[in-house]
Amino acid sequence: EFNARNIRVSNGINADHPVGNGIQAMQKCLDEKSGGKLKLTAFWGGALGGDLQATQALRSGVQEAVVTSSSPLVGIVPALGVFDLPFLFASADEAYKVMDGEFGDMLNKKLDDAGLVNLAYWENGFRNLSNSKRPVTKWEDLEGMKVRVMQNNVFLDTFKNFGANATPMAFGEVFSALETKAIDAQENPYVTIDTSKFYEVQAYVSETKHAYTPFLFLFSKAIFNTYTADEQKALRDCAAVGRDVERSVIADLNKTSLEKIQAAGVKFNTLSPEEHKRILEKSQVVYEKHKADIGPDVVDSVQKILADLRK
Amino acid sequence: MIKTLIDLFYRFLNILLVLMLAGMALMVFVNVVMRYAANSGIDLSEEMSRYFFVWITFVGAIVAHREHLHLGVETLVTHFGRKGRLVLMGISNAIVLLCSGIFFWGTWVQLPINASMVAPVSGLSMGWVYGIGMFTGGGIFLITLERLVRLALGRITDEEIAAFAGENLTLEQMAERT
Amino acid sequence: MTLLVFVGSLLGAMAVGVPVAFSLMFCGVVLMWFMGMFNSQIIAQNMIAGADTFTLLAIPFFILAGELMNSGGLSRRIIDFAIACVGHIRGGLGIVAIVAALIMSSISGSAAADTAALAAILIPMMAKAGYNVPRSGGLIAAGGIIAPVIPPSMAFIVFGVAANVSITKLFMAGIFPGFLMGVSLIITWLIVARKDNVQPLPKASAKERVTATGRAAWALGMPVIILGGIKAGVVTPTEAAVVAAAYALFVGLFIYRELKVSDLMHVFLSAAKTTAVIMFLVCAALVSSWLITAANIPAEITGYIEPLIDNPKILMFAIMILVLVVGTALDLTPTILILTPVLMPIIKQAGIDPVYFGVLFIMNNSIGLITPPVGVVLNVVSGVARIPLGRVTAGVWPFLLAETIVLFLLVLFPDLVLVPASWLH
Ligand code: NA
Ligand code: NA
Repeated sequence: EFNARNIRVSNGINADHPVGNGIQAMQKCLDEKSGGKLKLTAFWGGALGGDLQATQALRSGVQEAVVTSSSPLVGIVPALGVFDLPFLFASADEAYKVMDGEFGDMLNKKLDDAGLVNLAYWENGFRNLSNSKRPVTKWEDLEGMKVRVMQNNVFLDTFKNFGANATPMAFGEVFSALETKAIDAQENPYVTIDTSKFYEVQAYVSETKHAYTPFLFLFSKAIFNTYTADEQKALRDCAAVGRDVERSVIADLNKTSLEKIQAAGVKFNTLSPEEHKRILEKSQVVYEKHKADIGPDVVDSVQKILADLRK
Repeated sequence: MIKTLIDLFYRFLNILLVLMLAGMALMVFVNVVMRYAANSGIDLSEEMSRYFFVWITFVGAIVAHREHLHLGVETLVTHFGRKGRLVLMGISNAIVLLCSGIFFWGTWVQLPINASMVAPVSGLSMGWVYGIGMFTGGGIFLITLERLVRLALGRITDEEIAAFAGENLTLEQMAERT
Repeated sequence: MTLLVFVGSLLGAMAVGVPVAFSLMFCGVVLMWFMGMFNSQIIAQNMIAGADTFTLLAIPFFILAGELMNSGGLSRRIIDFAIACVGHIRGGLGIVAIVAALIMSSISGSAAADTAALAAILIPMMAKAGYNVPRSGGLIAAGGIIAPVIPPSMAFIVFGVAANVSITKLFMAGIFPGFLMGVSLIITWLIVARKDNVQPLPKASAKERVTATGRAAWALGMPVIILGGIKAGVVTPTEAAVVAAAYALFVGLFIYRELKVSDLMHVFLSAAKTTAVIMFLVCAALVSSWLITAANIPAEITGYIEPLIDNPKILMFAIMILVLVVGTALDLTPTILILTPVLMPIIKQAGIDPVYFGVLFIMNNSIGLITPPVGVVLNVVSGVARIPLGRVTAGVWPFLLAETIVLFLLVLFPDLVLVPASWLH
């Protein structure tokens, strides 16, 4: 049983991001299941307000859906802060297994309590570091570097812990600030470094993979509960279809973006396994400091699942 | 007696505005200096200066409404005589009453959602920041209601009618328009 | 149809005298009703989200810097400096007015404040020297409106936030077009004032020039701090604004000593109120902007003007005419806030550079400040110099024409904006 529904999906990113491919795939799936009755209308570039504002609109039942990174929502669901913890996941595969499994379900329960239905975990990608000073091969290389980070306590502490000068700054000013050397470094997924042209004004890019913050495909619980069981199931199933497409497009794009960044003359390096171990050890103080805020059970649970996976 | 109390209340709001603007400037300034002098900054000050800004906007909006400072387009209004202006004033105030009432009500309904969210750095409940809409919506509603009552009783002053028609603007009021 | 409801409710409310901010909220309410999605929380949420933006903090700080500059005696010294430099030339006081206007516009973001300071000092001098008074008033009004085009500029900040365009880029791109406006005014002045029978000022001696420059040096340091700081990447526009305010406070209190601690309460309160008025408007505009977007109105408009999308120059031409017409009746900030959410999607689709569009849009809006019937800067000149409004309006038209020609030259030759911007950035 399907009714005609117009579902407004707010996005902070632009339509050319892989989320665009994911939404197309999801719409195709919904068309098949609902006979064209469930329609997604995507709004890009924060046209319906920022991620946080859109999420609050979902909670009050004003708007249907948003695709948002987990980080801005920590003020609503503190447990989501777990994804901000530095060097939590070692690979995308690990991240998928954790999020699409019981740990993801546990967080979904917490989101549900806040009035948000998470249809699926989409991908934003690992965040990596670019800068104009030197290749970052060990944590000591970050010392004294002016890094633009998101306005987020865990990110701020992570970089301060390495002796960097972590500066929050509006995203729109980052390019100019890098160009004029007001700041030395920024951290974002490769796709963002590419599409925002940061590589034009940076000399080094280091695959730090310091954070994996997923995108959540959130639906307003107040509105979701008025939908029929068929509609709800179609939305959940198709969000998973969109997720798979989005993840694979990101994986491809990450490769092409990195190639493009390197072709522009930016020096690329990765962290050696030993240095990765050292930087993770160095970061344990950040885990300790934020464990209580995130929820000790949440942090312990994800670390146990990861330990089992890595056996 | 009541008039004195009301005047005291607006005096308090004025002092609050000055203190918040000065505090906001100080926080941003200290952060710039620290970024260069000490190669560090206070994360709290970016967030708190933003919240001071929200409060200045919405506390100031009440004061501005009381003093007829919100910009309008008076081209049509000026073509009417006293009687016509009074009628337009009634319609106009009714619309403002409606909007401020909805603003108040919307903030009230939304309060639990904002109160259950905390600011990322300070941990302040966002109810305190975003709840200011109730103060503003409510304040403007009351000011407008009082005007409408006086309008119905025929107690509107000529000064108010002139202000409604955009006459006798001060230089400060003109500066706001550019 | 939705477009009609939007325009009708907005214009209707404004016509009966509802302040613009409440008119924007009202048209939001009407749109919600029309779309069958009335919810008071849409109003509440967008109002508040509008103010919670760090970039907009630059607005109160630049207002504060401007007010401190005027009360601290910086304007007076800038004008003295301009007199010492070019006062002796034939038509000199007119050139003085424009040179001073250009310098002041690189310190302050407010056309009215700059115009008031210029008019108060220069118009009596120009009258005494024998220049045509209404024409002098018109020149100063036309010079005052350069303020929003040359950074710092509240108009660029509001547009940058509403359109999601880098404010730093807008600031850098505004400098040369603002300068062109000044040049066009000087040329026009030399043509129209050549027949005035005037007594040029005596030429300042080298010593007098050095003295005037020395006195103005602190004031001239302000643009260096603002533009240099932003250009060199030392500070963001918001930080530049607060540094400028601190600098103006320091110079006014300790160097020029014209600012008293007892004045500060008044200056801060006035800046806070102006901020609240502008920001309340920004917040209310977010309500209507959210509903315009949710109702897909830009797509509706794009449908009507489909053929123009493929021809950016004609599209720009048409938009500039529209803005000129709107600007005759509506003030600067409301025009920016009402038109930006409607026009930006069209601009993007037509592939027009948003920074280029922003500069022309703001210049056009500034010109609106001196077009009758509602031209606030004309009122400022009329009020400060005690010239009847009708005579100022009659005096302004040659300069209004000159600035409009500059605007359309920029439509024809976008490189006039883009090339200098690329040098400066
Ligand atoms: Na300016
Ligand atoms: Na006008």
